[in-house]
Amino acid sequence: MAGISTHVLDIANGRPGAGMRIDFSILEDGAYRLLKTVRSNAEGRTDEPILKPEEAKAGRYELLFHVDAYYEELHGTLPDAAFIDQVPVRFTVFDATQHFHVPMICTPWNCTTYRGS
Amino acid sequence: MTHGYTPAPKGEEPSRRRALGAGLGAGLVLGTAAVAPLVGAGPSSAATPEADRTKAQGGAAPAPAAEPKLTMHAIDTYRGATEAGLRCDLSYFEDGRYRLLDSFEAVAGGRTKDPLLRGDELKSGRYEITLHVAEYFAAIGARLPQPGFLEEVPIRFTVADARQHYHVAILFSPWNYSYYRGS
Repeated sequence: MAGISTHVLDIANGRPGAGMRIDFSILEDGAYRLLKTVRSNAEGRTDEPILKPEEAKAGRYELLFHVDAYYEELHGTLPDAAFIDQVPVRFTVFDATQHFHVPMICTPWNCTTYRGS
Repeated sequence: MTHGYTPAPKGEEPSRRRALGAGLGAGLVLGTAAVAPLVGAGPSSAATPEADRTKAQGGAAPAPAAEPKLTMHAIDTYRGATEAGLRCDLSYFEDGRYRLLDSFEAVAGGRTKDPLLRGDELKSGRYEITLHVAEYFAAIGARLPQPGFLEEVPIRFTVADARQHYHVAILFSPWNYSYYRGS
């Protein structure tokens, strides 16, 4: 299935990253243009795919994960020494017939992303 | 592996170690180390993997993190060793956008010859290090889709306390990356 999906995991707390704001943009004429803002659901996924199969097209995209706001909302305040703020993951869909799953695994001090499935 | 940055001034480090080991009052003998951070400098910092520190220090006791500085280490986990020449851009968030401070290349092994920032150059706030990974993997001859999944990777982080040493450890390949506050 073509398109783009994501999955947020809060490994500081050992659970899905629920309610994280994610801004999805496409690179056009040298600048990222916001396509939509979504929030991860209770499973850390999104109710709808970030980019549906029928919308899939090759291009350069950005998923901006608001990790700092997530932890701030979760704990009422950010840890004093928080290191991670907002994480832009910029990637290329080089073949629109393929599916691109781009997870975000985070804590206030580190983060990881990869092409998943 | 050799250090890619300048260690603490000669002669100063051993006395600090002795002082720390003896548990003397920091303000009396440590000089600038008196402002040593509470977080991120000692064994109590659970978020900094000990393995990384042990490797970086060759198994010796950790050096006092007295000098404020920003360092990085980007490790190519695709090749298993970072070739020289990874191009990086360091920016600082100001007036609503990231402004370029400096561009540089990592040396073989993935560190830099000098700290990215040191002393007063390090300010609290938000930083970004952009790694030009597509260019890097093309240069080492990796066979990848064109354009690649990852091209220019922005590594964003916050310096909460500019009196501390911030080490940004990055693992990258053409398909994934990870970064954390190291030591």
